[in-house]
Amino acid sequence: MPVEARLSHTAAMILQAIHAGHIYGFSVMAMTGLPSGTVYPAMRRLERDGLILSKWEQQSIADAEQRPPRKYYRLTRTGRATLDAVYKRYPLLEKMIPAPELERA
Amino acid sequence: MKRNPLDLAPLFIVRTAAMLVPRSGRADWTAEWDAELWHVSHAEDDTAPPAGQDALIFSLGAIQDAFWIRCDRLRSCAGLALHRGSAARCLLTLSVLAIAGVAVWLCTPRARGVMLRVPCRGAADLVMITSNGYPGTQAPSIPLADYREWTTDTASLYSQIAFYQPAVGRIHLKHHNTVSLSMAVASGNIFRMLGVGDEHVSASSAAGGHPRLYLARSVWRRDYREDPGVFGRTANVAGQSVVIAGVLPDGDWRLPGGVNAWLLEDAQSLADLPPSLKGFVVADIRNAAFPPPRAGWRSMVETRDGITSRYACISLDSIALQPVLSFACSLLLALLALPAVTALSLGDYPRRRQGLGRRLILRRWLFLAAKFFLVLAVVFFWSTDLAFGPVSFDLSTGSGIQALTSFLPLLFGFRWILQDQRRRCPVCLRLLSNPARVGQASCNFLSWSGTELICVSGHGLLHIPELPTSWFSRQRWLCLDPSWLSLFVDPPPARTEPI
Repeated sequence: MPVEARLSHTAAMILQAIHAGHIYGFSVMAMTGLPSGTVYPAMRRLERDGLILSKWEQQSIADAEQRPPRKYYRLTRTGRATLDAVYKRYPLLEKMIPAPELERA
Repeated sequence: MKRNPLDLAPLFIVRTAAMLVPRSGRADWTAEWDAELWHVSHAEDDTAPPAGQDALIFSLGAIQDAFWIRCDRLRSCAGLALHRGSAARCLLTLSVLAIAGVAVWLCTPRARGVMLRVPCRGAADLVMITSNGYPGTQAPSIPLADYREWTTDTASLYSQIAFYQPAVGRIHLKHHNTVSLSMAVASGNIFRMLGVGDEHVSASSAAGGHPRLYLARSVWRRDYREDPGVFGRTANVAGQSVVIAGVLPDGDWRLPGGVNAWLLEDAQSLADLPPSLKGFVVADIRNAAFPPPRAGWRSMVETRDGITSRYACISLDSIALQPVLSFACSLLLALLALPAVTALSLGDYPRRRQGLGRRLILRRWLFLAAKFFLVLAVVFFWSTDLAFGPVSFDLSTGSGIQALTSFLPLLFGFRWILQDQRRRCPVCLRLLSNPARVGQASCNFLSWSGTELICVSGHGLLHIPELPTSWFSRQRWLCLDPSWLSLFVDPPPARTEPI
């Protein structure tokens, strides 16, 4: 898969963070320790490559909580397949940012 | 609650970053940054640094985001612009060729010299009298005897008249110091008439009855190492004592003959020269009884002993324009011959209301005009470099070479321009691709009835008839509506199903 071959460690970390349930930019930053100037452009690239999808939160939910709506990210099928392949290249990735099912285990 | 002005700094930085983002994505980025900034500012984590500091760090990251977005857009635009077959790549290639031609022209003093105007004051009012038309302006053609007669007989025609005769001379300044020069023996009034004596002759001295010799600056630098002490010294030229009187700037003397030293003789000394000696005659018609030669030349007829002699009086400005005129002549011939090598029609395109907007039509014509302009510049400068650069031809020979070397490139350059324009998409100006032969062989005794080319971005199809007919004589462009776009190379980003 061409995307997998090009995926940097930073991009792999962001992909794993989203997979682990950190589904908005600030939480990805907090989990990975990457600065905002890196995370958001990287997420845009991942979205452009079809590995993640973004979706704006419903305005009514944000209004009820008196805050601006957030943009949430999630993995696509391609993104998940890529992440599985990336584990072979970065074996510690899963331990650095454990996915919820792994944490439960 | 009153807010601390420092709390507004992250918001201000984020809004500034938003201004750096291209307009198309600005709203989306601003909304995301605003939302994230709100959450950063309201983070409830005791172990984290103060929220204000986090917000500031986040907002500074937004500036980096904005730069990344801008660079990414520039990269993608540059990639599209330099794509094979794009209009930008075509214009860039032609510009590089034109700039290279200009650079060679600038680096070649001979080629540069012929294109500059004659620096004399009122060069349009100064004429060169020759007995052989334009070619006669490059080789001496007037006997000294004729010049002597004209100094007295033609006072109503010319306010001043001067003579010079180029020759190779050797100057002996002292023992073992001999310099070879391309020297002209000239009448003493030539500098005054050309209007360069007062400004450019950098030194003068009392000649003490000896003829005065003026050197070109390059000679003074090369042979005398810019020694100011050389002025006023007596030298020997062909057995005649002369005084080195001054120096002239290089490049100012673009009169025919390639002279780099001038020996000014008075009328008595000129009278001692053989009457048959041929030279150049320059005349000033500023205050003459006849108007100046607006067309560049006029003729003078002289009848002597029953023999009629005709002379051409050609202005110095007109002589300097000779290379430009010969190029213009080639250009005219190429334009006249163009219909013989290609069709002039660019094809049938839909009218404005049916697909192509006014802006697209204007852009297409501007692209065509830019190609014509650049091809003209490329051919003009390279033909000038070729005609006057490598070998020191005289102006007439060089102009002839320029005319010959520019005609075919102009003709086939214009042919290429029209063919290239016909093979481009009128919307994106990219070259069309994927030619497909269409039609049934038996219908018109041809193997196919036409060829179709397609725009890789899906803007349309170009149908070229194999044989022009009364109902389909020229190539025809068919616009495709946007519903076709998904089939082509640049579709919108693909959406895949989420997990």
